[in-house]
Amino acid sequence: MDDRVNTLGDQPIVLDEPGGRRAKIEMRNLSFFYGKHRALKDVSAEFPENTISAIIGPSGCGKSTLLRTVNGMFELYPGQRAQGEILIDGEEVLSKRYSRARLRRNVGMVFQKPTPFVLSIYENIAFPVRHYERLSRSEMDERVERALTQAALWEEVRDKLKRSALALSGGQQQRLCIARTLAVRPQVLLLDEPTSALDPISTAKIEELLTQLARQLTVLIVTHNLQQAARISQKVIFMLAGEVIEAGDREELFVNPKDSRTSDYVTGRFG
Amino acid sequence: MAINPIIVRRQAVNALVLVAATLSTAFGLFWLAWILWTTASKGAAALKPALFTQMTPPPGSDGGLLNAFAGSFVMIVMAVVIGTPIGVLAGTYLAEFARKTRAGAAIRFVNDILLSAPSIVIGLFVYQLAVRPFRHFSGYAGAIALAMILLPVVVRTSDEALQLVPDPMREAAVALGLPRWKITTKVVYRAASTGILTGVLLALARISGETAPLLFTALNNQYWTNDFSGPVANVPVVIFEYAMSPSDTWHALAWAGALIITLFVVALGILTRIAFRQRHRHG
Amino acid sequence: MSVASDAFGGPAPPGRSRADLSSEKTHILGDRVFQGLTGAMAGLVFLVLAGAALAMLWGGMLAFRTFGARFIYSADWDAVNHRFGALVPIYGTVVSSAIAILIAVPISFGIAIFLTELAPRWLRGPVGAAIELLAAVPSIIYGMWGLFVFVPFVASDIEPWMSGHLGVLPIVGPLFSGPPIGIGMMTAGIILGIMVIPFITAVMRDVFGAVPRELKESAVALGATTWEVVAKVSLPYTRTAVVGAIFLGLGRALGETMAVTFVLGNAHDFSLSLFMPGNSIAAAIANEFTEADSPIYVSSLIALGFLLFVVTFIVLALAKLMLVRLGQGEGRQA
Repeated sequence: MDDRVNTLGDQPIVLDEPGGRRAKIEMRNLSFFYGKHRALKDVSAEFPENTISAIIGPSGCGKSTLLRTVNGMFELYPGQRAQGEILIDGEEVLSKRYSRARLRRNVGMVFQKPTPFVLSIYENIAFPVRHYERLSRSEMDERVERALTQAALWEEVRDKLKRSALALSGGQQQRLCIARTLAVRPQVLLLDEPTSALDPISTAKIEELLTQLARQLTVLIVTHNLQQAARISQKVIFMLAGEVIEAGDREELFVNPKDSRTSDYVTGRFG
Repeated sequence: MAINPIIVRRQAVNALVLVAATLSTAFGLFWLAWILWTTASKGAAALKPALFTQMTPPPGSDGGLLNAFAGSFVMIVMAVVIGTPIGVLAGTYLAEFARKTRAGAAIRFVNDILLSAPSIVIGLFVYQLAVRPFRHFSGYAGAIALAMILLPVVVRTSDEALQLVPDPMREAAVALGLPRWKITTKVVYRAASTGILTGVLLALARISGETAPLLFTALNNQYWTNDFSGPVANVPVVIFEYAMSPSDTWHALAWAGALIITLFVVALGILTRIAFRQRHRHG
Repeated sequence: MSVASDAFGGPAPPGRSRADLSSEKTHILGDRVFQGLTGAMAGLVFLVLAGAALAMLWGGMLAFRTFGARFIYSADWDAVNHRFGALVPIYGTVVSSAIAILIAVPISFGIAIFLTELAPRWLRGPVGAAIELLAAVPSIIYGMWGLFVFVPFVASDIEPWMSGHLGVLPIVGPLFSGPPIGIGMMTAGIILGIMVIPFITAVMRDVFGAVPRELKESAVALGATTWEVVAKVSLPYTRTAVVGAIFLGLGRALGETMAVTFVLGNAHDFSLSLFMPGNSIAAAIANEFTEADSPIYVSSLIALGFLLFVVTFIVLALAKLMLVRLGQGEGRQA
């Protein structure tokens, strides 16, 4: 990894147990409805800052739904509605007083399939930034470079910034999407199965990247890949049928789960 | 092993049907070939440089089609300029705000009817709207009529092209905090640009050959005119007039015009197919 | 390359910034304006259709008021005495369209089967494109070819043969007798049929393609021949849509102007024989509009247009409704 990334900020942050960290995101009695169907049932959970929290569970358990409540994505779709509280830094984000623009700036999201815009690599990053800040040409250049560096993509694209983003490989496109999200300087990063469509090498690159990013951001990752969760997360939340069954430190959950359903899932007895 | 007569009969029926299907296809292709061949040979025989340098002649004499080409060109361009923005915006409404609403369904329904409606009806409508009140035919009315024929095609193709843009791309833009209008204009349009352009080209091909609507709006003009508030020469109506006349020189000119239009339309068709293929490679 | 600069040291400082507030405002206003603008444009589509209907009703009012319901069944067409009736054009429209459908439906069906079941993959593209080309050719080209090439052929070869062999049959005989001038109802019907083929074919192709593969495969597994799969699986599944496709073709045939205008003859006499010239609504309007010299004449022509509009609207609306179930509209356009 590029040395510069490691020294951003004052000093390298030592990763200690997530239990010692304050909660960046808190969910209290969160329920979610697709029309009449209740997809999340009274979920309460905490996501510590500067940690990678993995949300795991079988298909249909509600993990993506949970993730998408954090940045209010569901509000795009009529008929989808959330009840309960989500607090980021103690502020209620579901209420009307928390502006959507602010929410989306603070919380970034990366999707399962890479979604580069049909623009050049440079423009993919510059365009969202331009929506928030007026930067000079050189400032923007710098911002783009920073974002691409943070996403471990700079070296590969530095001399083809003007080329279409669609010319990149799948793994590169996904890293571009991460760079794009980082460019607007979020505090939280949500990732919905970000590497499930990618090859192992790209997956490894992105996992390494996320570990680095967790030093400054709070990362929430939904994944159906248990090995991935075991590799990179510090906190794990296991969901089943819209409920949080168990939440705890990675070691605890994988090695010594409290609930039998958790141990069944992580040992592969069902999937 | 005895031969089962039932199976034999079924297979015979099958073979018969497949032969009939092949013959039907040959039938269809036969007419296409005949029509294209006729147009090509008669049109080619009538091609000459004068077509592009002389005006439409009075009965009995020879000349060219210059004013007709010019008139058609300008009216078509006007129609595209008027109709495309309206059509794309309407398609945007359908694809971005009304995918499953009742209003959307109603508009799509009406649009599809408009798409297949007789163009002569549009011609009469614009006659009532823009010719009768002013008491003379005009090129502007012709452009409006063509725009109304272009409109439903562009609405439909834009709607479809925009819907093809994957939703995760929109969601990614929303997640970045961009407002809806910026997302649509800067992200979605860019992604759907090939599809929208193809739609415009298809609509262009369609209006290039339309005669009936011009018959009641722009009518025709024997001379060159720069005034589009009066009747304007155009290729389809000239062909109509000349073909129905007894004059042989006029017939020749009509065939030449027919060939040019056909070549234009076929070229546009090929162009849209290439654009289509490029989009698939791109995405 | 500078290392840690303040411009990007990590997450943005928390709390509201000026940028966020102004973004919020652009957000809401911009979105509302945009939605309003696009919605208005979409509403324009409605306006065009409604406007067309109203404009023609208005223009035809004089004729409707003068002639009343007689307008529909009167065969008069007298420009001098100002007596007009729509019967001959209506009859011609119906008959020529009927001939067109009779020809086009089986042919389109055959082509659809050929393209979906029979043709090897490499052939489907070119042949499909060629058939769609039939739709792309402007109708005035059909008209020219019809008048200068097809009509003489019909007059010299087809009609005499038909007179001799079909004209002598009972009941249908009168349909096929008469002077072989070429111009007439039958010729117009044939050309219309050819024009309409690509539209019906396109929808049928899409519709047959929408039949779930598993359904067809289970029939094949039971030993069904290709035709039996079509007849026993595809057709029943797509029955409504196939009828919708036919209605679509009918709608197109009813409104076709230029091709028919050249070869129908613009006669205002009623005749049973298909060889005789006749008239269709669209052809009558196209042929006579610019020469209509009295308000009642013009109004009668516009009234004809209104009738055509109403009929095609109904036919096309029915077609749409029948095609909705399988999610089809027009099929692929050329």
